[in-house]
Amino acid sequence: MKNIMLPQPHAILDVLKETKAEYTFRVEFQGKSNHGQFFQLSIPKIGEAPISISGKGEGYVEFTIRKVGRLTDGIFGLGKGDTLFMRGPYGNGFPVDRFENKHLLVISGGTGTAPVKTMINHFYDHPEICQSVNIISGFKDIDAVLFTDELKKFSGHEKFNTIYCLDNSEAPGFHKGFVTGYIKEIPISSWGDDYNIVIVGPPAMMKFSALECIKNGAAEDHIWLSYERKMSCAVGKCGHCKINETYVCLEGPVFNYTKAKDLLD
Amino acid sequence: MNDNELLKARLAYYSFFSRVFEKELTEDKLGQLAAMKSGTPTGNEDIDKGFALLQRFFAQAPENRADELAADFARIFLAAGQAKGKAAFPYESIYTSKEKLLMQDAWEKMAGLFRAKGLSLSGVSADIKEDHIAAELLYAAHLAKESGAAEQLSFLEEHLLNWVPAFLADINAVAAYDLYKGLGQMLLGFLLEEQAYLTQATAKAESSDATLKSYSLSTDEMDRFIAGLKTEYRVYAPKIVTHRGSTRQVIRFQEISSVREIYNEDNSDFSPKEIYYPISQTMFYFTESEVTESRLKDDKGIVLIMHPCDINALRRLDNIFLHNGGEDNADMYYERLRRKVKIFMLECKQSGNNCFCVSMNSNRADNYDLALRLGDNAVMVQVQNPEWNRHFSGCTQAAFEPRFVTENRRSVHLPQIDGIEDVKLASALPYWSKFDDKCISCGGCNTVCPTCSCFDTVDVIYNETSRDGERRRVWSSCMLDTFTMTAGGARARKTPGANMRFKALHKAYDYGKRFDCGENMCVGCGRCITRCPKELDFADTLNEFADALAQAKKGGE
Repeated sequence: MKNIMLPQPHAILDVLKETKAEYTFRVEFQGKSNHGQFFQLSIPKIGEAPISISGKGEGYVEFTIRKVGRLTDGIFGLGKGDTLFMRGPYGNGFPVDRFENKHLLVISGGTGTAPVKTMINHFYDHPEICQSVNIISGFKDIDAVLFTDELKKFSGHEKFNTIYCLDNSEAPGFHKGFVTGYIKEIPISSWGDDYNIVIVGPPAMMKFSALECIKNGAAEDHIWLSYERKMSCAVGKCGHCKINETYVCLEGPVFNYTKAKDLLD
Repeated sequence: MNDNELLKARLAYYSFFSRVFEKELTEDKLGQLAAMKSGTPTGNEDIDKGFALLQRFFAQAPENRADELAADFARIFLAAGQAKGKAAFPYESIYTSKEKLLMQDAWEKMAGLFRAKGLSLSGVSADIKEDHIAAELLYAAHLAKESGAAEQLSFLEEHLLNWVPAFLADINAVAAYDLYKGLGQMLLGFLLEEQAYLTQATAKAESSDATLKSYSLSTDEMDRFIAGLKTEYRVYAPKIVTHRGSTRQVIRFQEISSVREIYNEDNSDFSPKEIYYPISQTMFYFTESEVTESRLKDDKGIVLIMHPCDINALRRLDNIFLHNGGEDNADMYYERLRRKVKIFMLECKQSGNNCFCVSMNSNRADNYDLALRLGDNAVMVQVQNPEWNRHFSGCTQAAFEPRFVTENRRSVHLPQIDGIEDVKLASALPYWSKFDDKCISCGGCNTVCPTCSCFDTVDVIYNETSRDGERRRVWSSCMLDTFTMTAGGARARKTPGANMRFKALHKAYDYGKRFDCGENMCVGCGRCITRCPKELDFADTLNEFADALAQAKKGGE
C-alpha cells in the first residue's frame, strides 16, 4: 500500500541566518513545486509541521523558520550536511499564471513574507511578464526584518514599488506603522481590471488588509490570501486545519477572498 | 432430464467434439456419424445447420470417403498443400496472439490451468498442446464434472467462445467437403447452448447463495463458532472491564471467547474505533537519516461485534481516512487495519439511556456479514455474507430478521442550515459563549466518539543521546485549547465556546456538506453525554443550537 505520510530524508545544503531568530534552511529537493506551496518538515525527536517554501532553485528548496515553539527549536540544532525528514510539496500555491501581465500588490506581515518571496523573485527575474509589482511588508521591529538584502534588491527595480514598515518604530528604509496604513498609497483604482492582490500574514492582519484594499477600490475576487494553520498530516486526515467543510491543506493554503471571507474560524 | 442425465449428455458432447477435431476420422467413426438420425430441429440454428451439412455430405459422399476426409483434415487443420496461412489451425494461440503464432499467452494460460487441476494430455495425440481445440474441450468436460457453473462459464467465454467463431470461419473457407464445416457449425451451436445453460445456472447459484439464511444456536454452539474463528480472527465485543484494582467498571471493546462476555444492556463507554484506529499507533521508526515503516503485529483478521450506530460510524471514518482528498489519498495506517475488519451486527437489546440514533438516522445498518441477537440461552444468527454459511452447516435454521431500535428516550432536532449565510449566522450565535464557563476542554467527548478522527503526531526518542526513535500518531481532540495552535502560539479558535461551535457544526452539518452524503457525522450513540464530567449534553446542545439558529433566522428576516 502507498504510504502518503512517510517522510523521506533530505540533506541540508546550507543554513543562512536572516535575523537573530530566523534562519533559512536550504534543503536538497529534486522535484517541482509551485510558489506558495508548503512541505511537512520533521525533525526527529520533535515532530512535524507545515513550512512554506521561501526560496527555490535547481535541486533545492528553502524554508525560512522562526525560532518559536518546540518544533522549530529542534530545526535550529541542525546544520549543513545534516538530514531533514520531509514530504511534499502540498497545497495549491498561488495562481501565478493569472497574475502575469498585470499589476501585482503583495502585502505581507512578518514571516508571511517567506511564502510570497519566491513569487516576487519570479517577477523580478521576468519583469517583462508584469506591469508593476507593489510590495507592502511589515515587521515588528528592525531586528525582525527578514530577507534584508532581497528587500533592498526589490526596491531597486524600476517596475517595483516597495513600502517597508515597522509596527512601532522607524528605521532607514522603513516607515512606522502597520501595513494597513499604507494601502491607500497604492493606486489600486487606477489599475482597471488588470491587477491582483496577495495578502499573507497573521489572521487579523490579512482580514484588515483585505478590507482596506476593498475600501480603496479593490474587487473581492482579485484578492488572494494564504492561510497558516496547524497541521499534523497535510493530506486531509488529521483534522487540525479544517474550517467549515474546507481543509486548508487540500483546498488551500491559498484562497481567493470570495472564498476566504466565508471561512469562519 | 434430471441433473445427472444432463451432465452425462454434456460430457458425451464434449468428448465427441474433442475426438472429431483431434485426428482423422476412421471409417468406423464415419459409419456412426452417417447413422446419426435427423431428429426434430433442436431449435439451435447452428446445430441444425451443421447437422444439415453433415447429412448433405453423407448423401453425396465419395466412395473413398475416409481417405478424402483425411486429406481434407490435413488441408484444413495442418495446412497441407495450402498457401501459407490458409488453414484453420485448431489452436487458441493462433487466434488470440497478435502475431498469430503457436504457443503464445493462450497456451501458457491453458497449460497453467491443466497444471492447476492436475490434468495431463496423456490420452490424446502427442502433437496436441493444451490450447488445441480438443484439449480445451476435454478441460471443459473436466470442469463440467468438478466445478461450479460460474467457473465453467468463465472458461467457456474466455477460452472457447473467444476464438471458435473465427476458427469456424476459417474451416468454411478452406474445407473441400461439408463434413468439417458441419461439425464446426455444430460445435459452435453446442458451445452457445452451454453458454446459455451455464449463465442460467450461475444466476441460480448466486441467488440461492444470496438468500439470507438464519440460524438458532445454543450459547455453547455460538462459543464453539467463536473459538473456531479465533484461529483466524481477533474477535472484539463490548465487555465490562475493571481497571487495575479500581472498582469503577468501564464498557470497552475487548477480545472475547464467549458471547456470555458481551455487554448489551446499554451502549459501551468507549467506541470500537480504538480497534481499527488505535489510540496510539507507531507510524514509522527513524534513525538520524532513515525511516522505516511500521508493521502490524500479526496478520489475523478482526471481527467486530457492534451495534448499528457503530457500523454507521465506521463508514464516516472511511470517508475521512480513505476518501478525503481523493481516491489516491488513502491513509495507509487506517486502510491496513480497516481491510481486516469483518462486521457482526449486534442487535440492540434496547435503546441506551443516552442514545439518539433515531434522530440521526443511524439506528439501522445493512452493511454487515452476520447479525446477532443475544438471548438468554440462544443466539440468533442471520448470515448476510453467504461466505459465512459454511460455519453454520450443522446448525438449526430458524427465521430471524434483526430488529432495530426505532425509538429513543432522547430526541434531537437538527439545525436547519441552508447555505453559507446560515453558517455565518450559526457561527455568530451568542449561544456558544455559554460553553466558555461550562466546558473544561478535557476532550473526553472526542475520545469516546466513534466518528472523531483527528490526530496529532508525537515523536518518541529511545535514548536521550541518540536520535533513534519512532513517530506515533495519537488521537487528538478539537475541544482541547491547543488544537489549532501553531508553532508560534497563535490559535484559530481560542475559547471553549468556539471549539463547541466547531464540533457541533462538524458533527451536524460540515461533514454532510463536504461529502454530500445525506448524513451527518454524529451517529447519536450518546457516549459523549455519558462521558462529560461537566454534564454537558450534546443532544441538548444540538437542540438548543437549532432553536437559537431558528430564532436568529427569524430575527434576520
